[in-house]
Amino acid sequence: MGPVRFRPVCLLLAIGVLGVVGCSGGGAGAATDDPLLVAAASDLRPAFAELGAAFEAEAGERVVFNFGSSGQLAQQIIEGAPMDLFASASVAYVERVLEAGVGDAATQATYAHGRLAMWSPAARWREWDDLEELAADDRIRTVAIANPEHAPYGLAARQALESAGVLDRIGPKLVHGENVSDAQRLAATGNADVAIVALSLALAADEAGEGDWQAVDAGLHEPLQQDLLIVASDPDRARRAARFAAFVNGEQGRAVMRRFGLSLPGETTPDEGGSGAEGPDAMGDH
Amino acid sequence: MDWFPLLLSLRVAVLATLFTTIIGVAGAYALARWRFPGHGLVEAVASLPIVLPPTVLGYYLLVTIGRTSPIGRAWEAVTGFPLVFTWQAAVIAATIASLPYCLRTATAAIAAVDRGYEEAARVAGLHGRRLAFMVTLPLAGRGIVAGISLAFARALGDFGTTLLVAGNIPGRTQTMPIAVYDRVQAFDYATAGVLAGVLSAVAVAILLLVRRLERAAL
Repeated sequence: MGPVRFRPVCLLLAIGVLGVVGCSGGGAGAATDDPLLVAAASDLRPAFAELGAAFEAEAGERVVFNFGSSGQLAQQIIEGAPMDLFASASVAYVERVLEAGVGDAATQATYAHGRLAMWSPAARWREWDDLEELAADDRIRTVAIANPEHAPYGLAARQALESAGVLDRIGPKLVHGENVSDAQRLAATGNADVAIVALSLALAADEAGEGDWQAVDAGLHEPLQQDLLIVASDPDRARRAARFAAFVNGEQGRAVMRRFGLSLPGETTPDEGGSGAEGPDAMGDH
Repeated sequence: MDWFPLLLSLRVAVLATLFTTIIGVAGAYALARWRFPGHGLVEAVASLPIVLPPTVLGYYLLVTIGRTSPIGRAWEAVTGFPLVFTWQAAVIAATIASLPYCLRTATAAIAAVDRGYEEAARVAGLHGRRLAFMVTLPLAGRGIVAGISLAFARALGDFGTTLLVAGNIPGRTQTMPIAVYDRVQAFDYATAGVLAGVLSAVAVAILLLVRRLERAAL
């Protein structure tokens, strides 16, 4: 009598085991595809999404991205996350990964310089020209930035507020997103009045017809030198990662990065004024 | 539509529930029927995942099975790759997170079984494992199945613990809740909504199936 009553539990477990076997097939299907794994800073989401598709079309190789704050991604790579390439928003986190004995130092390369922008949905945009105007606006209750503890754009935003002499005033209004993309989401959903985000994200939203922005003076914060590093331990995967890195630094990659407001090595850098013929300032604001 | 996150979530939840069932029911039997020194402490520690934030649980797991831990080093020595940031780590995270839901419910169910039936069975010659499997556990069956289904639901929906120890690697460790988070981060609310809806529908369907099986035979 007793064992008979347990039949449904056994049946459920059998269904479960069948499910696992079935799922293993599905999982294996995705794994045998064996795409290149790229850990990329959140500010790169729009540019890399486009570059990933273009690379797949050109090289026939799929790239999947793990977007996050550079600090969190560096921590995961140090802990053994099986990534092939790390595209950081800060050179500091690339160096931290190298210090932990992960990655090939010879492959470290600067692929862009980032830039900050104030961003808000169009309906709430008040046309602030600079951080001082933003600080003087008493209608602003919350300002979202990425967490400065592990997100380079969050740290740069805090430095900019401090350099502009408005950190005391805006500090109590600051809310932290997990990463710069999350900070923008806080403003997009109305949970923050304005966000100080990467210019690349502001321009991507602009392309989609969402929000208005104003670039923040690049001289107010340390340069956002964005470096990449090949972290694959397998030589074949490292070679494949190098091909993608070369694609990012190639003609097509540079064109996409430029369109998203990232200054490129060998071209105008933000600390040199950031207003080259195709620099962020020349693109105009909102 | 990429079905990998759903398939991975099901795979993780099923395996975690399998482990939870084995550990949880055995633990529940021990806690309900045996008195031993530290009984209360064991019960409290086993229930911690209900109280602790998932991130704290994730932190403890990262310390326990991370690359620098003895377990992590041993795993890497044997398999050649780290345990963290794999789907296996997601199974461990989901097992730990869901264990107390099965354990607590099953403990209460077993403790509520009338001792008179067990005494009668002993008189009839049943002892030890046979007594447990033929009398006690079947009588507590409804509560145990309820605990298993709760554990399954918790394992299917785990986010914070999984994110910390398995990461967010599309096609490898990205479970359904993490895929929803990822899509929201990308402002892709349409896909996030579809994924959330599919996950909710699957969860409801499985819980209804469990309920039906429970009513039909227990």
